[in-house]
Parts: sequence; C-alpha cells; structure tokens
Amino acid sequence: MKNTIRILICFYSLVLAAPVTAAEPHPASHPDSLTYKPLRFNPPQARRHTLDNGIILYVLEDHELPLVNISAVFRSGSVHDPAAKAGLAELTHRVMRTGGTQSLSGDALDDLLAFHGISLNFSAEMDMGSANLSVLKQDLDLGLNIFSQILRKPRFTQDKLQLAKDLHIEGLRGILDDPPKYAFREFRKLLYQDNPRGRLSSQISVKNIQRSDLVDFHQRFFHPGNIMLAITGDVTTAEALHLARRYLGDWQASGRPEITPPPAVKRNGAIHYLYKAIPQSVIVSGQLAPSKRDQDFYPFTILDFILGSGGFRSRIFQEVRSDRGLAYSTGSFYRARQDYGAFGAYAMTKSSSTTTVLSLLIHIIKDVKQKGITAEELSWAKKSINNSFIFSFQDTDQIASQQMMLEYDRLPQDFLMKYPEQIDKVTAEDLQQTARRYLNRERAVTLVLGDEKAFDKPLSSLEKVIRIEGDL
Amino acid sequence: MIRKLHIFIPVVLLVLMLQPLSAAENDLESRVLKFTLNNGIRVLLLERPLSPTVSLYIRQRTGAVDEISGKTGTAHLLEHMMFKGTTTIGTRDYAMEREILQKIRETGQRLDLERRKADGADAKALEALQAKLKALQEEHKQWMIQNELDRIYTENGAEEMNASTGQDLTTYHVSLPSNKIELWARIESDRLQNPVFREFYSERDVIMEERRQRIETNPGGKLAEQFFAAAFQAHPYGRPILGWPSDMRFLSMDDVSAFFDQARAPSHTVISVVGDINPEETLSLIRKYFESIPARKTDPLFINGEPPQSTERRVEVIFDAKPQLMIGYHKPPPPTQDDYIFDVIEALLSKGRTSRFYRKMVEELKIAESVETASGMPGARYPNLFAIFATPRRPHECRELEQAIDAELERLKREPVPEQELQKIKNQMKVDFIRSLNSNNGLASMLSYYETLLGDYRYLSNYIKVIDKITPDEIMQAAQKYFRKDNRTVATLVSSRMPSEQSGQPAGSKMEK
Repeated sequence: MKNTIRILICFYSLVLAAPVTAAEPHPASHPDSLTYKPLRFNPPQARRHTLDNGIILYVLEDHELPLVNISAVFRSGSVHDPAAKAGLAELTHRVMRTGGTQSLSGDALDDLLAFHGISLNFSAEMDMGSANLSVLKQDLDLGLNIFSQILRKPRFTQDKLQLAKDLHIEGLRGILDDPPKYAFREFRKLLYQDNPRGRLSSQISVKNIQRSDLVDFHQRFFHPGNIMLAITGDVTTAEALHLARRYLGDWQASGRPEITPPPAVKRNGAIHYLYKAIPQSVIVSGQLAPSKRDQDFYPFTILDFILGSGGFRSRIFQEVRSDRGLAYSTGSFYRARQDYGAFGAYAMTKSSSTTTVLSLLIHIIKDVKQKGITAEELSWAKKSINNSFIFSFQDTDQIASQQMMLEYDRLPQDFLMKYPEQIDKVTAEDLQQTARRYLNRERAVTLVLGDEKAFDKPLSSLEKVIRIEGDL
Repeated sequence: MIRKLHIFIPVVLLVLMLQPLSAAENDLESRVLKFTLNNGIRVLLLERPLSPTVSLYIRQRTGAVDEISGKTGTAHLLEHMMFKGTTTIGTRDYAMEREILQKIRETGQRLDLERRKADGADAKALEALQAKLKALQEEHKQWMIQNELDRIYTENGAEEMNASTGQDLTTYHVSLPSNKIELWARIESDRLQNPVFREFYSERDVIMEERRQRIETNPGGKLAEQFFAAAFQAHPYGRPILGWPSDMRFLSMDDVSAFFDQARAPSHTVISVVGDINPEETLSLIRKYFESIPARKTDPLFINGEPPQSTERRVEVIFDAKPQLMIGYHKPPPPTQDDYIFDVIEALLSKGRTSRFYRKMVEELKIAESVETASGMPGARYPNLFAIFATPRRPHECRELEQAIDAELERLKREPVPEQELQKIKNQMKVDFIRSLNSNNGLASMLSYYETLLGDYRYLSNYIKVIDKITPDEIMQAAQKYFRKDNRTVATLVSSRMPSEQSGQPAGSKMEK
C-alpha cells in the first residue's frame, strides 16, 4: 500500500491537468470493425516411431527449457473393471506408482524421485490409463529407467494396496459432501447403465479387490502393443529413441487390445430424484450423442456450443443466468470418443427455482429442435470454434500428445487439420436435423439432486419421477 | 469438462500456484521488458514465439480487503459487472440506456430500502416497486445487447477468458491468437474507463447462487469462511471475498460505482503480455489505448492491522459432511525473510508423498485422508496465515489429527531439518519453477501478480537464490517464533450425520443455517 501511494504521488504532479473522470463514450470505433494481419500458423509436428516390440512413440524436440516430458497412454481404462471389483483399474495404476519396483521399495522410489524433482504420475480414467513423467534433461535416463521398471514389473506391495484402498474409500465418502460431483456421478451411472462404463466403484467393490487382481490386471493390459508414448522437450530424437530402446525395447509381453462395446441408447425420459438436504439443487439432463467418427460430430459440436458450452452468449447461459439470475454455473457439455459421445445440460439453482430451471432447460432444447438456429448464431459459433483452433497447438507436449491420442482413438492423422473445414461446412439445416435426431426427451436421462420439500413445484408436475439412492 | 465454470473463482489459492525459480532465472530477467506509461500503468512484456498465441493479464491492486464494512462482496460484484459491456460495447443506443439505467438505479435502491424494513415493510409499496423495476428492466432490454463483450472475445478465438477477485487484487485475463492484441487493448481500455452496469439486479441474484454453490453447500467453503472470520477480528482478511449474505443482498449500483471509482486508478494497474509478440508493436498498441486513461489521485486507504492474538481461538461448524480441520498461525507477508522460510516449511510438511505430514499421518498413523498446508492465506498484501487443512480418516477424529500435527510442528521447533531433506525441498522448488516457465498463461500470471503485489516482478527472479540460502537454523527459529498456541486459530467441521450413516440418506440431519 505504501508503495502504491508513493507511485501515486510521484506521477500525479505530471498529469494534474488531465480530467479526473472520463464518462463519455470511447472515441474508438466498435471492436467488430478492427482488422487484423493474417495469422502465421505452422505448428511443428511430432514424428511417429515404432520400437521392434510394437511400442509406438511420438517425438518432438523443444529446447526452450531444460526439461523432458513423457506422456503415455495405455488401453487400460476403468471400462475393464470386473463388475464386482469396480475401482480395479484406478487402484492398479495408483499402486503401480506407489508400490515400488523389484529393486526399490515404494518409499525409496518416492524419495529418489523427490530428491531429483522428478514428477511421475499414473492414473486411470474411463476409457484409458495414462502416465506422465516430467524430468530435468540431466535426469532423463534415471526417470525413464524407473518409469520402465514400473511399467514392466511393478511390485504391488500389500501395504501400499491397503493404503490406496483406504484412501479410495475415504474419497468415496467425500463425494457425498460435494453436490456437483455426487450428481454427475449418479448421472453417469444412469447414462451408461448396462454398459461397463456405468459401473462405478463403491466401498463394497473396492473392499473386494485383492493384490492378485492387480497383478492380473497389469498382466492383461500392460504389454508393448497396448502402450503409446509422446516424448517432448530438451532431447534429440536420436537420444529419445536410444533411451526408449534401452529401457523398453527388450520388453516382450503378449496380449491383445480388448474392445468394449459402446453404450447403447435406451428409452428413458424420467426424472431421477436423489435426496440431499441442501439449499441448492444440481440438475443434469442429457443423453448419448455422436461419436467422433460420426459425421454428426461436427454439427453436434456446434449445437452444443450454441446451446450451452459457448460461454455467455450460449442460450442456456443467457436464459438461465443472464436473464433470470437463476444460476451461477449453468451450460452444457459434449464429450465424444471414437465410438460414442455424451451430451448434457446442467444448472445449479436454489431449491425454490428447481423445476423452473429444469423446465427452462427442457424448453431450450425443444426450441432448438422446433425452430432451429439463426444464421447469426451459426456464424458466431463457427468463428468462435475455428478462431480458437490455434490453441490446440500451444506447446510441444500438447501437440505430440494430441497426435498420439488420434491414433489411440483410431482416428485418421489428418482429423485435426481437417476439423476447421468440417466445422465450416455445417449448415443450419444440418444442425436442426442433428438436434432432432439426438435430442429426444424420451431418451434423455435427467437427474435432480436436492431437497424436494423446498422445490417450487413437485418434480412430478413435469415428468414421471424415479426416486433413487446413491450407492457410495 | 465445464468450460466456463471457473470464471469468477476468487483467487484465494493463487499463492499456491506461484512457483519459484532456477538456473533460468537470469535468463527470465533479461527477457522481460518493463515500461511505465505516463499515467502510471506498468507494462511487462515477454516474447515467446513457439505458438501464435498470446496471454494478456490486467491486475489491479484492489480487492475485497478494500471494501468498507457493511458492503462486503462489492469488489467481486464489480468484477461480474465488468462483463456487462461499455458505453460502446453492448448498446443499441447508449443515451436511451443511460436514462433507463438511472431509473433502475433509483428504483432498485428504493426497493431495497423497503425490503430492509423486513416485517415493517409496506407490502403494497414493495409490490409496486418490484413491478416498476421489472418494467424498467424489460424496457432496458430493447436498448442493450446482451453479453456482447463475451461474444466479441469468443468469436475472435479467445480462450481462458477469466476474471477473479481476491482479497488483495482483481484480475482480468484472456488468451488470444497473437494477431488480435488490438482487440484486447480496445475492449480492456474501454472497460477500465466506461463500463456500464447492465442487468445489475439479476447479476446480484447470480452471486447469491454463487455463494450457495461455494459456501452454503460446500463444507470446505463454509469451514474456511468461519476460520478466517475467527483468525482476523479487526483486519478485513476476516471477511469473505464473496461477502456476507446480509451485505450481498443489499449491494447497490451506487456501491459498485463507488468501488469502481476507487479501483480504476492507473497507478494500481499492471499489464502483462506473454506470447508471440513483437514487443515494440505491442507497446505502441498499449500506449495508444491505455495511455489516454487519465491518472487519478485516489485517497490512500489505510487498513488497520490485526492486533496480536493473545489466546488460542477455536471455532466449530456443524455441517452434514465428513469432519475437517483447519489450523492457522499468523505470520508476516512477502517479501519478508520469514515468508520465504514458510514457503520451505510448507513444502517440507506437505509436498507430496515424501513430506512429513503425509508419511506420518497418512502412511504411518493411518489417521488422515490428507493433510495440506498453504502459506499466505487468505492474501499476501498484509500479514496473513500459515494454514493447515486436514481431513481425518474414519473412524479417527479431528482431535487426534490435531495432536499429531502439533507433534510434527514441535519437532520442527526442536530438531534442525536434516541437510538431505532440506536439499530435496530446494531441488523440488527449482524444478517446479522451471516447469512453471512453460506456459504463456502461467508466466503472464506470475509476472503481473508480483509486480502488482510487491511493486517488482523480480521477486520471482531472485526467489530461488533466497530459498537456496535458507538454513535449518532459520527454519527452527521461525517455527519457534510462530508455531505457538496463542498465535493460532483452529476450526473444525463437526459432522451432523449420525456416525453410523453410510448412505446418502442422513436421518434427521440438519444444515447449518
């Protein structure tokens, strides 16, 4: 504060004559009339390499900082969890990292990595497993050596497994205290019901998991054919390949990729109500949507943008938040994988406006099916999506990982480069047809978490209600 | 997964993101260009040509701490209102708008006055004023263009558009394709001078929803609010950034205007630009748009300090959630030597699985789910707290965890930290700093943060040098000086849930009102 005052006093004498207020309109022209130089746009590309045993590597050099980053993906997501042992993939990845290697205990390994400032993480999500290694250039050899030992032969000690199970269960208890997380978890279970993606871990399923399950899971999914790496940073391609061969090249383990069928669309159309004594409800309503390989992926991307993911100007945000002040967080999301996608609209609103907001969400979606979208909205959405496309190429880790993910998702390598052109081709009619094809109320899954006693109207005044209970 | 969910997050945790520096330190200092405009705005430029994008930050040294009592939440509400456009952005006819907005301002104020009478309010007058306000709001709609500022940025490819209000500072940030710096300059220089507070009353409802989301339904948020309120009785760090609900619901357009007037002084303002830029061209654009903002004299606001604490303070929050614990010790802010020492203590106690707290309480005693620490809460302009956040593992209780934490703090006071352990911390801090240099956004954020907070971004470039010299003795002395019972506040969240409850159906549970 003192400093600020000093600065204030210093310059104030210089500009004493300047007016103190400037309430009149800025003389500059409207921002829309500004013109810009064309953007130079020539992102570097990672090169793809294959080791003799089948491990795929993407390598991209970047010598700005003395760091090397390795991102890895494995075909080992939680979609492969056995029904009675949901949580297995997550625990396997976690204990691979914490349970040590054949030559180092988990604690010794942590100490060694921490002393060198090496960051190494393993995690599993629904459709894949992943790892990330970040090291100073001088520690690359050490980092990759340890990383390969974990990949090839993790120790899976009993004490670290028990700790991981205990912490996982404690985390599950915490979900109950986090309304958005709780609601989105239950929504996911409903959306993917009867598909492995809808099986989520519970205290019971985690307690069922034994060390031998981790050993089996590792053996089944960690083999050269199931692994891809992206190596970027302050390393030459030759050095990166040399080290990868040294630590991973002689790894022989067999197995084949396992494919899980995509979730199937089902009739639904009811409101699932989950009780929690909170003053603000969480509402999520959505359905399965086009996959990335579907031609509808592009119109649906734009549709979602206009409906609720395109920021303040999107319809849901404007109607629920700007016009009516009924939510702080509201909008929509659309996530697509290579063989399925998911869409949802959401809002968090005080109990006494719950059915008002849910009706609004339903109405906004119905409206886009009936009346379509305006030329203005379409142009805004296309420009927005394509002008921000450049942010897909901000740094070398992102670029190389992205190329790796295209291959992981079995999409063509030019998928990304063709994206803007595909977006550009979409017409208003495509959008309306896509909306009609996918956004059917009778196929929508709706979840409301809250306290119905305090709602503005009973949920049953809108649609059939199914009362559910969480299984945490 | 939710693109704009995080837009208005208060920056209470900002300090946690800011990482120190390394061998690349001299390099950084030689690459940053610093200028001061004639009106006092400071500008930091850093060229990074890898991708044709640029990150742009504007920070003002004004935050919740500068609010007057009874008007908490004004700084944050102002930040929301700054997205409603300007006299030239978002209008069909500003002259018409101005007239209606004046009426909305007056009507809203009269309505609030009536509402403040609570049971003594005149029901008819209330209803009439509500109807009048609603009619004015409807009328206003035909002269304004909703969310135009966001539309323009988004359409031009903006990413990470973000604003945040903290106790200390307010921040407006966006990343753009690097050929569009002029768009940012045009919009930001305009809203620093001519913002128009459209849709005020519905936005006030939005921040009430934001409060429900972050505090009323969030056990950690609720506990933190009570924790800071107990730790700071005189200093404004004890007030929530979002505001007390009883203040928030009556904030007026006049309150926000008055705060804006105080906030907008160029001498409080720092700009940082990092990315694929031509520094000369960028500076001349910035001069063109920002240098005409008149310098202003603002009355210096003196904020009284928190009197030294004389006894331990304890608060309990009853909530339908798992138990949690927060402990805070008063300490000085940066750039004092003790603040640097606390950064080392923070890492020593809680950075990763090799930290003392994790090894002891999570692994060995098995009584904690997590134990984290954060030095510099809830701000860094004034003396603040070294805070510890812990959640016990069932069936253990906060009390047990607190004792184990105390034992670790006692150890710090008694035993010098072994050299190897201290070296590990220093190594980690160095590498983390180098990692933090790998992002335009991160760099623009850190540079502008320290320049605004401390008046000199070079705090960053000297950081690791200072950290490297910290000795085990200094750590022991600081621990002895600050980790005293009479210097601390302990807040515990007590579960209202029946201990046997396992499911989401707590019988007879109650929410703290």
